[in-house]
Amino acid sequence: MAKDPLAEAGFHFDEVNKLRVLEPDVSQSTAELKEECREFVDKIGQFQKIVGGLISTVDGLAKEAETEKMKAIGARNLLTSVAKQREEHQQLLKGLIAEKKMQLERYRVEYEALSRVEAEQSEFINQFILQK
Amino acid sequence: MQSAEFVIFVLFFIIFLNTSSHKDLVSCLGWTTADELYSCSDDHQILKWNLVNNETNVVVKLSEDIYPLDMHWFPKTVGGKRQTQAEIFVLTSTDGKFHLVSKMGRIEKSVDAHKGAVLAGRWNYDGTALVTAGEDGLIKIWSKVGMLRSTLANQGSPVYSVAWGPDSDRILYTSGVQLTIKPLQPSAKVMQWKAHDGLVLKVDWNSVNSLILSGGEDCKYKVWDSFGRLLHSSSPHDYPVTSLSWAPDGEMFAVGSFNTLRLCDKTGWSYAVEKPHTGSLFSLAWSADSTQLAGACGNGHVIFAHVLEQCWEWKNFVITLTKRRSMQVTNVMNDAVDILDFRDPVIKASLAFAHLVVATSLQCYVYSSRNWNTPLIFDLKEGTVSLILQAEKHFLLVDGAGLYVFSYEGRLISSPKFLDMRADSLNAQVISLCDDTIAIRDNRDEKVILFFDVLTGKAVGDGNPLTHKLEVVEIALDQCGPATDRKIALIDKNRDLYLASVRHFGRETKICKIGTMVDNIAWNDAANILCGIQDNQLTVWCYPSVVFTDKELLPKTLHIRDSSEFNSAPRILNFSGTKVTLRQGDGSLVYSSVPPYIALLHEYCSSARWEDALCLCRLVKDQSLWACLASMAMANRELTTAEMAYGAIGELPRVEYISMIKEQPSKESALAHMLLFSGQVQEAESALLQAGLIYQAIQVNIDLFNWERALELAVKHKTHVDTVLAHREKFLQKFGKKETNKRFLHYSEGVDVNWENIRAKIEMELSKEREKAANASVRSNGASYR
Repeated sequence: MAKDPLAEAGFHFDEVNKLRVLEPDVSQSTAELKEECREFVDKIGQFQKIVGGLISTVDGLAKEAETEKMKAIGARNLLTSVAKQREEHQQLLKGLIAEKKMQLERYRVEYEALSRVEAEQSEFINQFILQK
Repeated sequence: MQSAEFVIFVLFFIIFLNTSSHKDLVSCLGWTTADELYSCSDDHQILKWNLVNNETNVVVKLSEDIYPLDMHWFPKTVGGKRQTQAEIFVLTSTDGKFHLVSKMGRIEKSVDAHKGAVLAGRWNYDGTALVTAGEDGLIKIWSKVGMLRSTLANQGSPVYSVAWGPDSDRILYTSGVQLTIKPLQPSAKVMQWKAHDGLVLKVDWNSVNSLILSGGEDCKYKVWDSFGRLLHSSSPHDYPVTSLSWAPDGEMFAVGSFNTLRLCDKTGWSYAVEKPHTGSLFSLAWSADSTQLAGACGNGHVIFAHVLEQCWEWKNFVITLTKRRSMQVTNVMNDAVDILDFRDPVIKASLAFAHLVVATSLQCYVYSSRNWNTPLIFDLKEGTVSLILQAEKHFLLVDGAGLYVFSYEGRLISSPKFLDMRADSLNAQVISLCDDTIAIRDNRDEKVILFFDVLTGKAVGDGNPLTHKLEVVEIALDQCGPATDRKIALIDKNRDLYLASVRHFGRETKICKIGTMVDNIAWNDAANILCGIQDNQLTVWCYPSVVFTDKELLPKTLHIRDSSEFNSAPRILNFSGTKVTLRQGDGSLVYSSVPPYIALLHEYCSSARWEDALCLCRLVKDQSLWACLASMAMANRELTTAEMAYGAIGELPRVEYISMIKEQPSKESALAHMLLFSGQVQEAESALLQAGLIYQAIQVNIDLFNWERALELAVKHKTHVDTVLAHREKFLQKFGKKETNKRFLHYSEGVDVNWENIRAKIEMELSKEREKAANASVRSNGASYR
């Protein structure tokens, strides 16, 4: 087989008769490899994006779980302290009631004294009318 | 009148200023003016709170090692002169130092005072000394500039609180569960007593009413008098009492505890309680006009409270302080309501004698009860009025600088002054006003009462004050009748009640005891009737002047109310018309009425309508009324009425004596016998001598067995020596005794006693007197005819 002198010199022609320094097979394989590589990188990127999304979603969930947990703890604490608060409030109200009761007692005494004065005065008026 | 002011119920109104606050607990505060407050906190800052524009400014940031504990502004009044503003304050801190800090926040001086923290620092009232108390149990006195004067006391335990006595001559301090009063004079007696079951944390001593206040870890507050007697003990609170403070006018005090602020009357019962979310109140401070209170809170806030809902009553008007600058007048007869508005916050008000007097920080408003729309307004020189007293024609304002009497038309009538006057320590107990006279107890010598004429502001009469034999605790002038008959009722330290006349000419003041165990008194506003709390009973002296005419009649003129009506320790607030208003120990108001006849009788007698008076007494048929009439008639020399009245109460000897007086030959002798009737022997004798009735004067002395004086008169006037000797001899014979008196022995030698002669002489004297009297009456008739 007569060797192509060009091929010996390392030059080749491709299908569209352009001059190439690489063998058409190799060049084709290279192009294919390149294509495959690109596809691979794309896929990896896609994968990373999906995983990232997953991670952030999980993170968000974790955060939400955490706040819910804190909320639950807070609510539980609040619940336990409500009893105490109620007691305190009750104490406060009791104090105020005692104060008001004292005031009421004062008013009662005042009212009694005034009624006594009124009785005395009406007695005086009656007496006065009778004597006239 | 005991007190014209008549406060019924008081509420607190609390505001929080949320502009900014401290970052750590507030430990102490103090007012500079009525609108400006300084506060110190554990965040090392001193803040200035301005209440006019609600601003808070940082005055200074102290160095990191100063943790303030107590502050006290230098007193405004120094030696009678009054500065407009306090300029410097003392700040005590945990590092054992106290600092003198200027208004701008500059530390003028720091003094190493104690080992451990300095827990309290107080200026005395005239600003000449500072007392500090420390954790090391020492109490030290410092000069104004911070030089150590002395170490007053040394005890093992920390002194948590300290207070000056009213005259700055004593110190009150806490020692564990006890309170101690130590005078500054080294030799004077120290007083110490157990005050609380827990540690005593705070004390305060008021200069106006000299009452002591203490609060402790046993969660109680207590009120003591200056002798250490317990006047009130509160029921236990939920938390220890961390702060308390007297209002400067001594009418109220405030107590602070965890989340609690309480306002109490000076007698201890509580007006109101508030439960703000403040944490513990570490310090309370009243403004100088006693209307505002600031509290230092544990959570870094400062709270401000105003006293509101004060109420005044007079006849059918009720006036309430609804806002700081506004009052509501209600006429209960027709439910008409008027609103009174003021430019500045109301400081004091008084309602009596148909006029309302309101003192704000700059002006004085005078309203008449007939017209609430147009008040009379005039400016006040000095801001803080501490007392308003009213009389029928004028009123008295007391402020830090002096006393001023104004008419209801707003004219300044007079301004009484006396030496060493301390107007800021006057209260309604030690000053009394009536239409013509002001009476004030001298603050230097509590036995002395000074009288001033209202119109001139000068001392009354010869200028000599009334000096009682004991310390006087309460005085009251009667409100009616002419100025010459003015009487003063006074209670002394032994709780005895005395009556004395104010205007006396030449002679010694007569002062008569009219009651014992009397706690307080008030005169009626329309008649000279006195009521008082005697041994927990309401006693009415229907005619107190009876002691000057007929002392023995006094018990019959009393009107005593049944004691079952009142419980503990009532105090009279007001005695107006027939109504007595009292406040019981628990704070409730009670009323009691006095029969209206007494006032009527007073009116009849003062207008000399004796027939009407007799009719009234016959209608009522009351012994005490007859007794009053008897002594009133006697005081007015109305013999016929007096005779009847004495007859009605069965005082026959007196009736006989009166008919004897009526038979006297001359006016002069009748007058003398009337004076004798009321026990005024000296006056009777001098009246007779003035009229030239020598024999009658001698006879008066003989009748009283006053032999020496009789002989003296006889010898002096060279007449009737034998009469005296004869009577003396008769007297001695009757008792079977021998003459031992040298003077009588001496004169009996040269005088021949002959009863015939004596009788003739006496007859002659009497006929001479009759003749003279007849001539005089003819002359006077002639004069009146002309």
